[in-house]
Amino acid sequence: MPIVSAQNLSFSYELRDEEGNVAEHIDALKGVNLDILAGSFVTILGANGSGKSTFAKQLNALLVPTGGTVFVDGMNTADESHLLDVRKTAGMVFQNPDNQMIASNVEEEIAFGPENLGVEPDDIWRRVDMALAAVGMNAYRKTSPNKLSGGQKQRIAIAGIVAMEPKCIVLDEPTAMLDPGGRREVIRTLHELNEKRHVTIILITHYMEEVVDADYCFVMHQGELVMSGTPREIFSDVETMRRLSLDVPQVTEVAYELQQAGVPLPDGILTSEELTKALTAVRDGGDPAAAVEGCRRAK
Amino acid sequence: MLKDLTLGQYYPEESPIHRLDPRVKLAGTLVFIITLFFGQSVWLYLGAFLYLLIVIRLSRVPLRYIVRGLKTIVVLILLSALFNLFLTPGDILVKLGPLTITTQGLVTAIFMVVRLIFLIMGSSILTLTTTPNQLTDGMERGLSWLKIFRVPVHEIAMMMTIALRFIPILVDETDKIIKAQKARGADFESGNIMQRARAMIPILVPLFISAFRRANDLAMAMEARCYHGSEGRTRMKPLVYTKNDRLAYLGLALYFALMLAIFITLGSRVI
Repeated sequence: MPIVSAQNLSFSYELRDEEGNVAEHIDALKGVNLDILAGSFVTILGANGSGKSTFAKQLNALLVPTGGTVFVDGMNTADESHLLDVRKTAGMVFQNPDNQMIASNVEEEIAFGPENLGVEPDDIWRRVDMALAAVGMNAYRKTSPNKLSGGQKQRIAIAGIVAMEPKCIVLDEPTAMLDPGGRREVIRTLHELNEKRHVTIILITHYMEEVVDADYCFVMHQGELVMSGTPREIFSDVETMRRLSLDVPQVTEVAYELQQAGVPLPDGILTSEELTKALTAVRDGGDPAAAVEGCRRAK
Repeated sequence: MLKDLTLGQYYPEESPIHRLDPRVKLAGTLVFIITLFFGQSVWLYLGAFLYLLIVIRLSRVPLRYIVRGLKTIVVLILLSALFNLFLTPGDILVKLGPLTITTQGLVTAIFMVVRLIFLIMGSSILTLTTTPNQLTDGMERGLSWLKIFRVPVHEIAMMMTIALRFIPILVDETDKIIKAQKARGADFESGNIMQRARAMIPILVPLFISAFRRANDLAMAMEARCYHGSEGRTRMKPLVYTKNDRLAYLGLALYFALMLAIFITLGSRVI
């Protein structure tokens, strides 16, 4: 059973004029159908205004559909009686790490979620220890969040969700405000959570490098789901990506340009290692596609 | 410069007073303040003085830290002393032109000064020995009986917690806005008071907008983490009374009883 399932999901905002009359309906989501498998690492890509953040808020019942339905672990998000259960199942991390922290020290910050769930004190302590270990921030448990770097703050925000023991974590551009170092920290943490604790990760981003290692990828454009597949399948189609004003990873772009210039390279090269192997094969008169394939298998 | 601003004045130390439950300290401060208003008697004030001395000793906070709190209200103390000194009617002691000093005025002024000084010192002890977090925690649980009167105790405590967390962030932001406006040629240093006040507008407007945006984000993040008020909420560090806390309550009760006894036996006599 999929952990998240959106069926013909639509959502529209109302824009009101100064007298408070509805002036315009803006369709942020238009009939999105998708399933996300439990335990997978999924990314959702899209340019600004593509509806990806609106979609994220649907998964946590911060917004409820105006059309269609969303099921989180079998629960309909529009059903008020499941509200807390839905939020407990699908935790959510936001873009700005400063604006999602409540307490003045790290351990109390992480305890906030479990406290809201009414967990017993002993169990809260256990969960805080577990969550701190999961994001590798044990040394900072008494520190004030104001003294942490952006990447560390975002890891604490993730720990705050992990302590609620969700089956699924939705992250809405968690790295948009971070420097490259912080971004790497956060993405590594997410992969560890996915591999070691089998938490389903739904990462919303517009950094292509973060998509490469995902299991599956959805691309949104103007409120619609336009592409889905493995990152390799998605990035093989460089032209469509460009039309949607999205980038592909730099290496893929170089490979694509070389291909256009007549170098016999296969589609969907994602890492610089693959490109090196393929180009070496071309130089030595070998089969570049087989070289890339070998490289993938070795991984 | 704005970064040095800190709220509260916690003095870190491992003293018996520091380790007390914040509810005990709140109650102690409250009782102390009440007894200060029992009346004007040397004995009452001697009792309060002894109580204060013992608590300060136990807290191991250097006296100069406690006295420093008085600096901010020196003017207030002097003013109230002067008013009491010259404006209390009674038996004339000294006559200085149009001003007269009465015996009653002198006594009231002295008591007023001592009372204000004790008041500030007593409440400084509370903030010096309790972290802001413990304080809000103690208020939430120590004052939960106010819920009977529909006082939203939990909500107030939560607001205080959030305010404490966001003060440094907003201070940073103010700093940034000031720099940004200066970079565009804003002038905050010259002109009269009106002009300077007007120059604050381009700082305050963006600050307010950003504060509202942050509040909106935070509310969403709190909801996403299942926050739904105090109902069914547990705490990671529940406040539990220890033996020392009970002893402190006992001491407090003794102090209160003693002061009450003095008040009743002496009535309104000064000595």
